[in-house]
Amino acid sequence: MKNFLDELDERTGWRKVKETLLDRKIPKGVDWRYTLGSMAGFLFLMQAVTGMLLAMHYSPSPDHAYDSIRFIMDVVPMGAFLRGLHKWGASAMVVVVVLHMIRVYFMAAYKYPREATWLTGVGLLLVVIGLGFTGYLLPWDQKAYWATVVGSHISEQTPIIGAYVGKILKGGDELGAITLTRFYAIHMLLLPMTILGLMGLHLFLVVWHGISAPPEKIKSFNPEGPGWKEKLHHRYLEMKEKGKSFFPYVVFKDTFAIALLLAVIAGLALWKGAELEGLADPTDTSYNPRPEWYFLFIFQGLKYFPGSLEAIATILLPGLGVTALVALPFLDRSFRRHPFDRPILTTVGLAAILGIGFLTFQGLRSPLTNPILARNPLVMEGKRLYGDLKCQYCHTLDGKGGHIGPVLDEVGSRRDAGWLTAHFRNPQQVTKGTVMPNFNLLDNEVQSLVAYMSTLGGGTYSPKAPPLFEERCMVCHKLHGKGEEIGPDLSSIGQYRDAPWIQTYVTNPPKVNKDSAMPPFEGDLTPAQIEDLSHYLASQRAGAAPKGAAKPVKVSSKKK
Amino acid sequence: MKMNEDQHPEGEGLSRRSFLSWGIFLIGSLVGLVLGGSGLMYFLSPAWRKKDEGWIDVGPLASLPSGVPTKRDYVKRKTDGWMVVEGRSSVWLLKDGDQLTAFDPHCTHLGCPYRWDDSKNSFVCPCHSGVFSKTGEVLSGPPPRPLDRFPTKIANGSILILPEGKKA
Repeated sequence: MKNFLDELDERTGWRKVKETLLDRKIPKGVDWRYTLGSMAGFLFLMQAVTGMLLAMHYSPSPDHAYDSIRFIMDVVPMGAFLRGLHKWGASAMVVVVVLHMIRVYFMAAYKYPREATWLTGVGLLLVVIGLGFTGYLLPWDQKAYWATVVGSHISEQTPIIGAYVGKILKGGDELGAITLTRFYAIHMLLLPMTILGLMGLHLFLVVWHGISAPPEKIKSFNPEGPGWKEKLHHRYLEMKEKGKSFFPYVVFKDTFAIALLLAVIAGLALWKGAELEGLADPTDTSYNPRPEWYFLFIFQGLKYFPGSLEAIATILLPGLGVTALVALPFLDRSFRRHPFDRPILTTVGLAAILGIGFLTFQGLRSPLTNPILARNPLVMEGKRLYGDLKCQYCHTLDGKGGHIGPVLDEVGSRRDAGWLTAHFRNPQQVTKGTVMPNFNLLDNEVQSLVAYMSTLGGGTYSPKAPPLFEERCMVCHKLHGKGEEIGPDLSSIGQYRDAPWIQTYVTNPPKVNKDSAMPPFEGDLTPAQIEDLSHYLASQRAGAAPKGAAKPVKVSSKKK
Repeated sequence: MKMNEDQHPEGEGLSRRSFLSWGIFLIGSLVGLVLGGSGLMYFLSPAWRKKDEGWIDVGPLASLPSGVPTKRDYVKRKTDGWMVVEGRSSVWLLKDGDQLTAFDPHCTHLGCPYRWDDSKNSFVCPCHSGVFSKTGEVLSGPPPRPLDRFPTKIANGSILILPEGKKA
């Protein structure tokens, strides 16, 4: 064995490497605050590993991106967990990198001789933010789409060259397929390569200069006068002599901190998971675009700079911030390192943290303008399939389509889920002599189509809904000539509101419309009653007589 | 405590040193296990992923003539990862008494589409003149084995076939 290690040393020089990396002494006073750098390094590794795995089942095209993520979440073993790790890992990365920077800032560890280390660190922070921004778009869900719409518009506010910046970012004029592949390449190749290079440089410099000793007050150590650099160097060597070796003393703290960090991230991945909203829909006007929490301070800041001043919040202030970070080691060049010996910078740092913290907090608290309506993913999937399967070749919906099959506008109130399911599985068996072909639909496709069809025309409601409406709602609302006129006439409500919207509104009107005078029915009526009513109302069309009272239909069991 | 450490750097330090080293090893392994374990499960999962069984409805049994091979075309929808691919294909069905056979519509020689020739009372392949009997046995030509068959079953009066379960 001894012989083998010697032989290996001759070829690789591992003993020298071990000595330099593991046996090097670390200055006294290096404590838990110093574990942040290792945590960031670990997070990079974790993001790289989980990212590579996710890429195995990801397709960067608007046609498939969303479905491929759904596949990862629902089908691939451990897929949801690994995506959770990747998503929460990204947030953790921002937190850890910023905390690391805060530590270095207040301890003034960016000073001589570690200016270059600081600069590579600023570069790493920017790359991390870039990774966050580009990673966002990849799932191609609502959040992804709208956040990128906002983000690319912000980039267009850059003075003079804004229009070009926007086009370069998006790969064209519109946010679309090219934007997605562009972001994918930047997120997967360009930025990880950059981060690897910067990290290598950063770590090399950390080892080269040695980990900075904790700052001392001028009172206890004052190197003032010519030759202060040499005095500082000697002091550092003294502190180093008093310290312990990197392995195992510092490595233990690092490992422990990393394990704790992973436990938190894994906990969040299991408990909260990684959300996947509905498929990106450029026509949706009820969505509330919100950025990831670490961009909330910019989001909130925008509200204070109206109109032409907006570029101050989007470009000027962040630009100044980055410039200040880059310029810091060149401006603050004295040997004073203790926070109390640099009152101005300490105050500036605290003010910046408080400011960004305040904006983030305000952004978190800012109310959503649009109500969050529960959407049934099956219905959305069914709507998509309706188009994919070219159902409109034969059927008319909303006045568009062919005339071979029946009009589908109110099919949801004519047919229940059982009939629809049997019909989609084998049309000829349910309707003798029909020309509708058997599409050999997959089980989940049948489910989605049934869910979608059930919503058309408002869906099915129980015979109890019409009398309930007469009893409770006609005191204020008119329906086909009957009832009072305190509230709006609801005879054609089904033409412009769907059942989930009505359900949310009846439950608690101010949630949807702040100025509504209607009392909330939450608690007064049961949720099942409200849902029943919402289907009844959603099936109301202008000119149609109230249905249901005469011909009640079965309530289909709704799956969410 | 501090004094002790300074006085006995060797003894105290060594045991503390090895304790920490073991700690690093154990905690590090745990971290590796969580990441590596879940990652490996994800990566290796295709090995034990169950194949989708896609029984396909190729129409009613009642309208199938008895004793004469009949071709039925069908549309096959199949999941391919996160996509659904749609393909058109066909099958030769033979009902003989209560015996139902479904033949893969490709010649076992080089995969050409054969057809039923009434006058010869056999299946004829247009490529290299392979000839099969009504029950799929090779009568002449280069085909190496009888026609391949799909598993069949009847449900609600419809014939279902399973093309993935092809048997030679």
